[in-house]
Amino acid sequence: MTRPETDGIGRRRFLRYLLGFSAVSTLGMVAWPVIRFLIPPQTRAGAGEGRVLVGTIADIPIGSAEVIPVAGKPTIVINTAQGVKAYSAICTHLGCIVAWDGSSQTIVCPCHDGRFNPASGSVVSGPPPAPLPALDATIEGDDIFVVVN
Amino acid sequence: MGWLEERTGLSPVIKASLHVRVPMAAQTFYFGGIALVLFAVQVVTGTLLTLYYTPTTDHAYDSVLFITSDVEFGWLIRSVHHWGANLMVVFVVFHMLRVFFQAAYKYPRELTWMVGVGLFGLTIFFGFTGYLLPWDQRAYWATTVGTEIAGGVPVVGEFLLLLLRGGPDVSQATLSRFFGIHILVLPLLTGGALVLHLVFVHQLGLAHPRKPKIRKPGSEAEDNVPLRPFWPNYLLDELIAWYILLAAMVVLASLFPVGLEEQADPLVTPDHIKPEWYFLGVYELLKRVPPLIGIMAPVAVIGLIMVWPFLDRSPEVLLRRRKIVALGATVLIVGTIALTYWGYNS
Repeated sequence: MTRPETDGIGRRRFLRYLLGFSAVSTLGMVAWPVIRFLIPPQTRAGAGEGRVLVGTIADIPIGSAEVIPVAGKPTIVINTAQGVKAYSAICTHLGCIVAWDGSSQTIVCPCHDGRFNPASGSVVSGPPPAPLPALDATIEGDDIFVVVN
Repeated sequence: MGWLEERTGLSPVIKASLHVRVPMAAQTFYFGGIALVLFAVQVVTGTLLTLYYTPTTDHAYDSVLFITSDVEFGWLIRSVHHWGANLMVVFVVFHMLRVFFQAAYKYPRELTWMVGVGLFGLTIFFGFTGYLLPWDQRAYWATTVGTEIAGGVPVVGEFLLLLLRGGPDVSQATLSRFFGIHILVLPLLTGGALVLHLVFVHQLGLAHPRKPKIRKPGSEAEDNVPLRPFWPNYLLDELIAWYILLAAMVVLASLFPVGLEEQADPLVTPDHIKPEWYFLGVYELLKRVPPLIGIMAPVAVIGLIMVWPFLDRSPEVLLRRRKIVALGATVLIVGTIALTYWGYNS
């Protein structure tokens, strides 16, 4: 016995489409919330805007530097002969924390020996691809402040 | 046994698994089997370590110190886990090199090779995620640099960085993620991939190192070779290799127990900090070339290794007739060893 020809989409093909649609939608229904779950929610970093007291002239005399958390981010504060400078202490190469090398008077990254100029934050040598981002630093009396934007 | 068989019906499955034959000429050097045993050792020692380990930034370091100093045989379990991880990388690489140089990745074993490369990736990811858990200085900075490297991948880098760290910095969120990935996600994935890999090996048999499998039906040179039983002959040889390995591991763990550095300090990167030896090559490469090349070159090499069986389609298995392939692989191996050596000494 032959089945009569029907116009349009056949029953088997319709069921195949339905099955495919169900499979894709089930996958999407599971995958999308899982992917969204894995991405952490955005939180406000740091303590907001303003000035942060990072130390005194006695703590950081001329020719020395300190790495201090400012608004939750490591910041290197350097007291140079030209005044106080502050930069993000996160190396622009691979995220290590830079340190002060008193003997060469440069900012140095201990991971790949990248070196930065304390006056401008620019790269002196090594693999870092960009200068250290600068922050505004001021001296008021004996106190050193870093401005957080 | 009859009682058990009546209630499980597993006898045919066990017989089918064991009663296979391997070519007399097959030389596996037991590398794959040893890697498998090392995974089992890692599962056992890792499970024991979780009984005392606390995955929080406040207590992780102290709990590892407690395991090492106060728990009876804690130092041994932790050291065996450490040595097991290192040896697993070594033997997975040896296994891959053996398969590569014997051309055992060729038709019809392309998928077995690809799953194997996936297992290599999982082994490396095991090392990477396990490394952070002690929350000491080396752990913290190796993870900072490692995740930063992942962050440098074009297009998806930023997403990968956030996905791995669970936030902009290496923090409690990162430790929680790495712990979950290390003790649950990776063991399940590795277990599944291992089953697949072993089923493929079982179904296709071990490759003959000197006779290729010809694609044309009726002329299968590999099929007319002397064979020997897998059980008990081959498996007993494996067993001896496994016992030697276990003995060596206990000796290594006793003579060179794993230590612990200072507790992680997000404000101080120690001088001359270095990652684990199997990441030293990439670490050194990143010192010598721009970040994009340093990150994408290893990704490209792994991708090339993964699809290699589909690029090298010649049936030839003898190394002396595969000179260009052998030369290319040797250059890659020597280059990796040289970068690792420079990284170690820099």
